Amino acid sequence: MLRFILIRLAAALPTLLGMSFVAFAIVALAPGDPVMMELRALGIVPKPEDIAALQAQYGLDKPFFPRYLDWLSRALRLDFGTSVATGRSVMSEIALHLPATLALAISSLIGAVAISLTLGTFAVAAGRVAGTGLRGITILLVSVPSFWLALLLIYVFVLDLGWARLVGDGALGDLVLPALTLSLGAGAALGRVVFERIRAEMSEDHVRLAIAKGLSPARILIGHIASRIIGPLATAWANTFGGLLGGAVIVESIFGWPGLGQLILQAIAQRDFPVIQAYLVFMGLIFFATSLLADVVVVLSDPQLRRRLSHE
Amino acid sequence: MSDRTLRIPALRLGLRGGRFGLALGIILLMAFVLLGFAPLFLDIPPPEKMDLLSRLAPPSAAHPLGADHLGRDVLARLIGAVPISLGAALAAMAAILAISLPWGIAAGLAGGKVDMAMMRLADIIMAFPTLVLALAVIGFMGASLEASIVGVAAAWWPSNARLVRALVLSASQRDFVRAARLAGASRLRVVWRHILPQVLPPLAVIISLETASVLLALSSLSFLGIGAQPPTPEWGAMLNEARPFFTQAPHMLLAPGLAVTLAVLAFNLVGEGLRDLLDKREPYQW
Repeated sequence: MLRFILIRLAAALPTLLGMSFVAFAIVALAPGDPVMMELRALGIVPKPEDIAALQAQYGLDKPFFPRYLDWLSRALRLDFGTSVATGRSVMSEIALHLPATLALAISSLIGAVAISLTLGTFAVAAGRVAGTGLRGITILLVSVPSFWLALLLIYVFVLDLGWARLVGDGALGDLVLPALTLSLGAGAALGRVVFERIRAEMSEDHVRLAIAKGLSPARILIGHIASRIIGPLATAWANTFGGLLGGAVIVESIFGWPGLGQLILQAIAQRDFPVIQAYLVFMGLIFFATSLLADVVVVLSDPQLRRRLSHE
Repeated sequence: MSDRTLRIPALRLGLRGGRFGLALGIILLMAFVLLGFAPLFLDIPPPEKMDLLSRLAPPSAAHPLGADHLGRDVLARLIGAVPISLGAALAAMAAILAISLPWGIAAGLAGGKVDMAMMRLADIIMAFPTLVLALAVIGFMGASLEASIVGVAAAWWPSNARLVRALVLSASQRDFVRAARLAGASRLRVVWRHILPQVLPPLAVIISLETASVLLALSSLSFLGIGAQPPTPEWGAMLNEARPFFTQAPHMLLAPGLAVTLAVLAFNLVGEGLRDLLDKREPYQW
């Protein structure tokens, strides 16, 4: 297993390098000179030789590739420079906001998995009419934009019923509504995957045999189908997690949840490139780690792949 | 059901299950198109026309869906937003297809090292969460509707290219494609006559479903204030403008949100309905 993870990591090295290059290039190619922008932010009208000196200080006078290597070596030491807007180090900003976003994304994923398994299995097990109804609800939930759903939930639960509050201080109770908002849509989308997967398995002969043997639907689902779909589902979960990391921005901005979403929106408004860069790198790395985890689950859940790996 | 032929999908457009959904989706889409052309036939005030006396006015005869915080008619803005919101989604989808179709087909047909290199490049982009990458691209271009279209297209095309490649691969494995190739048909002819016709139906499903998610993403970005900028009428942006007046004028929230939901729903219904039409598997039922 360890060997598999190491091999997988080695194979992913070019991808990781490519990701770092994309993150660097997006900012390095951005219009506008960062030195000029910083000076203008300070309210200084610079002399040309000052600009040249500052550019030399930041290494901006060097060609593209040396700059990239320079940036990469600093990024590997988790040094992403200072935020143009706040003047604090980008790392401390990220460290401040990342836990909240992760908490939101993880709890939403748990909610989405629970919702998807319920919806998907019920849609398969239900009769034609109920199944169509469930699929209708699923499509509807997938189609509702999370920002509108969030506003509706706030209207009902915060303003009307008073069960929850807005603009929390990051307490666990404040997580319920944002997580619910995200997990409803993601859960419905995943439910569609669960339904499709189960349906695909139900067209296979081994399920036909199990039915012929007289096994109960529950035993077929758990014993014959679950073990076959867990791998593909893990991949889908990892993808959903990536979607939730992005979707968190929307929900955080509505509920005032103190995550990275607030930071990145501010950074976009103020063209705070170091923050955008670090955000891209960290979200990419977290998503990458999730996909790796899903790959391990895929291998573990498939006896044939497992055997092949242990023999190699 | 199994003895019915699946050859002619048009004949199966009865009102059952997925077909009902497909019909509903098409009707919804046509309704949106009609709504988009409504200003040509009906007397609707321009979406930017302000009437400060009727600020935040609830629905009435003069303003069927009420007025917003600047006294602009919500219905007029809703209709004015149809070409912008749907147009942006279609433009993004066209951009995605313009990259992903050639990319996927080339990778699928070339095979070997070329295929590997092309898919590796796509993987690098796909390694970022899509919305996160879109945000970064917008951050680099500055917030505007065009930037959000470019950002969404830049983040979405690789997954689409992967799907196209998978479709092309499975299509080119078919015996009649090999036969055509052995018979000396040119590459272009094989692609055009034998592979594309196989790829198009499943691709239609994918395009429809992806348009739904692209529309959702674009309106989300506008809602965050980094897509369409005011005073452009766009459903997401309208919702964003309505946020401060949440408690005083809930009518401002209802209509644009419903419009986005219905539009996304329409594309999803069409996609799912088409998928059902093409699905020839028969699961064994207990």
